[in-house]
Amino acid sequence: MNQTNSSRIRRLLAVLVTCVFAGVAGGSYADAESSSEVVELSLLTGFTGGDRAAYESIVNRFNESHPTIQVTMDVQPWDSIGQTLPSAWGTGSGPDIATPNFDPGIVYRYVDDGLVLSLDELLGTSETQLDPAVVPQFVLDAFTVDGEMYAAPANVATLQLYYNLDLFEAAGLAGPPATSGELAEYATQLTGGDIYGISLADHETIQMWPLLIWMNGGDVMSSATCAALDSAETVEALTTWSQLVVDNGVSPVGQTGAESDTLFAAGQAAMQMNGPWAAPGYAEAGVNFAVAPIPAGADGQVTLASTVPLMISANTEHPAEAQEFLAWWNSAEAQRQFALDAGFPPSRTDLADDPEIQSNAVVAQFASALPDARLYMPGVRVASQIDNDVFVPLIESITRGSDVAESAASAAQGANDLAGCEG
Amino acid sequence: MPTLTDVTAAGVIDSANPSRSRSWATGIRRVATLASWIVVFIGAAAVLVPIAWMLGTSFRSEADLFADPARLWPSEPTLGGFRRVWSELPFVRLAINSVVFALGTTILLVFIDSLAGYALARLRFRGRRLALWLVIGCLMIPFQVTLIPTFELINRLGWLNTYHGLIVPRMASAFGIFFLRQFFATIPRELDEAALIDGASHLQIYRAIAIPLAKPALAALFVIHFMNLWNDFLWPMVMTTDPDMRTLPAGLTLFAGQHVTDHAVVMAGAVISLAPLALAFLVAQRYFVQGIATTGFK
Amino acid sequence: MFVTPAAVVLGVFVVYPIVRTLWMSLHDWSLSGRNTEWVGLENYRQLVHDGRFWNAVRVTSVYTMFAVSAQLALGLALAYRLRQTTWLSSIVRSAYFFPTIAALSTMGLVWRFILDPQIGLINAWTGAVGLASPEWLRSTTWALPAVIVVGIWKNVGLTMLVIVSALQGVPPELEEAAQLDGANAWERFRHVLVPSIRPALLFVSVINTIASLQLFDLVFSMTRGGPLFRTETLVAYMYERGFRDFRFGYAAAISWVLFAVIMLVSVVQLRVFRDADVD
Repeated sequence: MNQTNSSRIRRLLAVLVTCVFAGVAGGSYADAESSSEVVELSLLTGFTGGDRAAYESIVNRFNESHPTIQVTMDVQPWDSIGQTLPSAWGTGSGPDIATPNFDPGIVYRYVDDGLVLSLDELLGTSETQLDPAVVPQFVLDAFTVDGEMYAAPANVATLQLYYNLDLFEAAGLAGPPATSGELAEYATQLTGGDIYGISLADHETIQMWPLLIWMNGGDVMSSATCAALDSAETVEALTTWSQLVVDNGVSPVGQTGAESDTLFAAGQAAMQMNGPWAAPGYAEAGVNFAVAPIPAGADGQVTLASTVPLMISANTEHPAEAQEFLAWWNSAEAQRQFALDAGFPPSRTDLADDPEIQSNAVVAQFASALPDARLYMPGVRVASQIDNDVFVPLIESITRGSDVAESAASAAQGANDLAGCEG
Repeated sequence: MPTLTDVTAAGVIDSANPSRSRSWATGIRRVATLASWIVVFIGAAAVLVPIAWMLGTSFRSEADLFADPARLWPSEPTLGGFRRVWSELPFVRLAINSVVFALGTTILLVFIDSLAGYALARLRFRGRRLALWLVIGCLMIPFQVTLIPTFELINRLGWLNTYHGLIVPRMASAFGIFFLRQFFATIPRELDEAALIDGASHLQIYRAIAIPLAKPALAALFVIHFMNLWNDFLWPMVMTTDPDMRTLPAGLTLFAGQHVTDHAVVMAGAVISLAPLALAFLVAQRYFVQGIATTGFK
Repeated sequence: MFVTPAAVVLGVFVVYPIVRTLWMSLHDWSLSGRNTEWVGLENYRQLVHDGRFWNAVRVTSVYTMFAVSAQLALGLALAYRLRQTTWLSSIVRSAYFFPTIAALSTMGLVWRFILDPQIGLINAWTGAVGLASPEWLRSTTWALPAVIVVGIWKNVGLTMLVIVSALQGVPPELEEAAQLDGANAWERFRHVLVPSIRPALLFVSVINTIASLQLFDLVFSMTRGGPLFRTETLVAYMYERGFRDFRFGYAAAISWVLFAVIMLVSVVQLRVFRDADVD
């Protein structure tokens, strides 16, 4: 009896193992029919969530209009890309084109390791190129390393002021704040009961505090290597706003971007500085909101810009076609449609007056902010590290009551050490 | 294992002094037992609150959710989340991949681990102790850091985007070997020795004695690994670039955006992913908990 | 022959990558593998002076001490109460095991929502009863305790289940005899049941300790190590250095220091439980 049982088990296992290995044939990645006419490009992006459809649409329209270049896009969460892309590209495999991270500062890591192609053919005035005249300056700043351009924008975003019309009406305020002074005033006025005047986030978010600093004429870094965190204007801005948070409770402390969005979506915050992606969600959540420019600061209108880099692998076999794809991604026709699909501003400065763009109020609002938009720590090679190791802890501690001047001074020291500031 | 004599000798049981008022002691005992049951029940309910919230949220629209995020249940249930999971993912394909990966790997794993566990517990060979420490040592390096060299290796072997690339590296588990080795070590050696005297080979002992006795432990290991492999979205994500090869949990990560998340969809996906595991567990629990009673993972 | 399949699979796909990370830790190793430079023990030397590393050591130790002891105690208590094979016990056990089978990434999101000081369930309920409640994951004092509680919530089911299995394996005669001789429940528990299940307790203790010392996913999905690094465990810190800063050699060094700690703790545990089977 034991013999038949055991041999039956063995046979079953043999069959199972064979099936698994036979699955190889069926499950293997099918080799594409290689034809000398059609160039196949693989694209990897991190655009999960609601936006994904808009990006897939760009790719589809490219494929339709370019029969000889076909692009397939794979979407993975950002962390997953961050874990495998460097070593994939480092060992000679990986996709042809990718967005390695939503943080533009990632460009330096990839350039330093020689993983990405210099986009010398990208900029130009021909049909298959991207005209540098219409590329926002902050994009050029973000993606140029040692004089060469290494990435094209996958998207651009600016921050504007979302405000809750119902809460404003209840507080007797006629319209959104126009100056940084009014911003502080309104925030205080609107705070009360369960309601916060403004929903600020300090980590895992597109950065909002730098805007508060810029409105006062200060800055985080004064140059690519030296910090401005301890400058008088910066310290003044930080003091004002940390006091508003700590003493007046105008905003919850320690929110992530998502949590600050949630607070506004739940109707418990009157204002929030946020990017274009939030608008559809707030509408769906039933918030009665409008979008206004960021209040003007000492030096006039300012807002924060961010852009996601699209980079080409140094291993790609089709550099010309890949650059053509990047150029098309940022073409007027592609961006016009994308802006309407995704609600993001177009990545070009020449579409601000486009009638279709104008027809969508939210998109038009964010697009109009492009000329005044600044990057957070442009040109700083260790920007990501400074943000995580220095800036975020700084905000976290001053919003919990630590002495601003002291904290800013030590933060500036930390940033200087990381960035290699001399003198 | 303590015997009766040990226990009495330790003076724990005092036969000389009979009980005090029997009914009073019984009364206290009953109240204590009841109280402990009540605490356990309340605990179970508390433990389930986050699960209940997840379930409730999967049926809520964004507007409903933000109107009152603290509530457990939707005011107007909607199947929108579930519908979107179904329509936006190649659901069947992902589910099949999940089953092939999780089930296939677990079956192979239980088999291979039992062989190794038995060997480490029963067979005498040089380096046996070292081998055991090596196995335990494998557990001590976090996989986040071994992920990169493993990825490079799989890449070099050309095994990316293949079923064997997903399964073979996970086909043996140090956890399982350690677990089963502990189990096999407690099976009385008399059984083995009797069989050896009768001329049986180790393989026969393994088949006829060890495995049947080990069924509960094997079932436990099966459930634990099936659950871990099923929920592991990172491994299939990293080892495949072809979306058709991805597993269900990996596919579900597509719904959580960096900025915007449709909570109903994410929760619905989690509920759907949870269902087969809950089922597998309920079915297996009877089997492995009850079964161990007769053999003793003591 | 018995060992060969496991040995091959583990050897190639587990041991080899592990050895490779040791090699990497002796280099300044960029994440892509393109920029590598031999530095010998320099990474390890830097760790000694790294304030954040020591913070991570502290956080990880605190988490491990509380989580492991709580899981053991609660697991044991629950297992004792729920060790019958009745359907009621089965159902209640399943309730406690549910958190273990739920996917961690989603539960991280759920817990974030529930613990949200403004809109979360917990504060809504405590507020209804009139208790002032802390900022949970945003508080420098309460973030780590909250993470510990969630960690226990997630893992106690597994511990409970293993111990239940072990308890069910204790011959009923032992307990009956002790009862006949007048031992009360606590005495029976302490002198009969607990010693009988020592191997299971050892297994659960070692596994929980290793898992706690390697805590990452929970921290990553709930707090990302904040606020102000109060919940940054060793693996979370390692992740930042390795994958954000591309300093993979340094990250590997951190993981090998962790390895040494885990090895030490495991050896101590095996001694304490006096596992006679390791001959």
